[in-house]
Amino acid sequence: MKISQDEIQDLYAFTRQHFVEHYDLQTELVDHLANDIESIWIKQPKLYYREARDKAFKKFGVFGFMDVLEKRHKAMNKKYIKYLWLEFKKWFALPKLLITLTVFIAFYTAFSTNMASYVLVLSYGLIAIWCIFKSIQLNRQFRRRKEKSQKKWMLEEIIFKQAGGSALILISQLPTWFRISGDYFDSYGFIILISIFSTLFVLWMYVSFELLPNKAEDLLNETYPEFSL
Amino acid sequence: MYIWFMANSKLYKGSLVTIILKLLNESNKMYGYEITQKVKELTRGELKITEGALYPALHKLEAEGLLEVEVKKVDNRLRKYYKLTEKGNKETVSKLQELQEYIKTMQVLVNPKLSLE
Repeated sequence: MKISQDEIQDLYAFTRQHFVEHYDLQTELVDHLANDIESIWIKQPKLYYREARDKAFKKFGVFGFMDVLEKRHKAMNKKYIKYLWLEFKKWFALPKLLITLTVFIAFYTAFSTNMASYVLVLSYGLIAIWCIFKSIQLNRQFRRRKEKSQKKWMLEEIIFKQAGGSALILISQLPTWFRISGDYFDSYGFIILISIFSTLFVLWMYVSFELLPNKAEDLLNETYPEFSL
Repeated sequence: MYIWFMANSKLYKGSLVTIILKLLNESNKMYGYEITQKVKELTRGELKITEGALYPALHKLEAEGLLEVEVKKVDNRLRKYYKLTEKGNKETVSKLQELQEYIKTMQVLVNPKLSLE
């Protein structure tokens, strides 16, 4: 006995009820449950669909889909970091290397003045405002994309909702930076270090808030063959 | 989480990745449910891979670039197939060598007379 189209739709709803919101993982689990239900029906043809479904689901253990979901998220985060790194690396090869060097020189010059502490707060303050603006914008974009396609993909959610999240925590420490930085701006070593850090930080923010979301379509197509189906 | 649904589970725990890679190496492409059934069939039911262990392992291997995926419509649903990448092929060879070395060492420890012959 084969599973019907209505039962397939019920399996999608069933995975959603068990906290699997992403279409990519839902699709894989639906196929697995469907295969198992069909195989259960070979041995017990009189078993009702819902009984067979619950029997198949029990094999996932007491935590249901939670383990699979958690590990899938971890694996997808790894993939996101890989994409982030591939894009980030390009800024250290020509021609983009010239822009990276320009940003570094600009920071170095600004931090070498006697207003360095104020420059630090001003530049990171501006970065923070831009990041918050981009976060709101990307969240809206993500909502619109979801409404349009009626599907949510795990990588898409990471690209649009988690972009540069940890950076905002770092920026929240700005008042502390301001208090302690004044003592160190006399040292050339410190100025070079903070200029390198700031350059890398700006690039990281730009890649995660601007470049990756702009390439989302390509990355999703590369990750999910079913994305364009 | 139950890694293996069988009596002597701990002995097999570390070999899940090697088993997956070996099966994919022999079959070109497979989907999740097919892997669980193939292991059951080959070991005559002695070894059963649980769903809660299989999918995390497949997703991890995919994220590491050892597997690539292909999606096809089969009957009335989408099916995700896993295939070895070039990196995955190399990893399979190395994992199998590692496992054979382990078996050899265990043989020496468990049955020293036999291993000297």
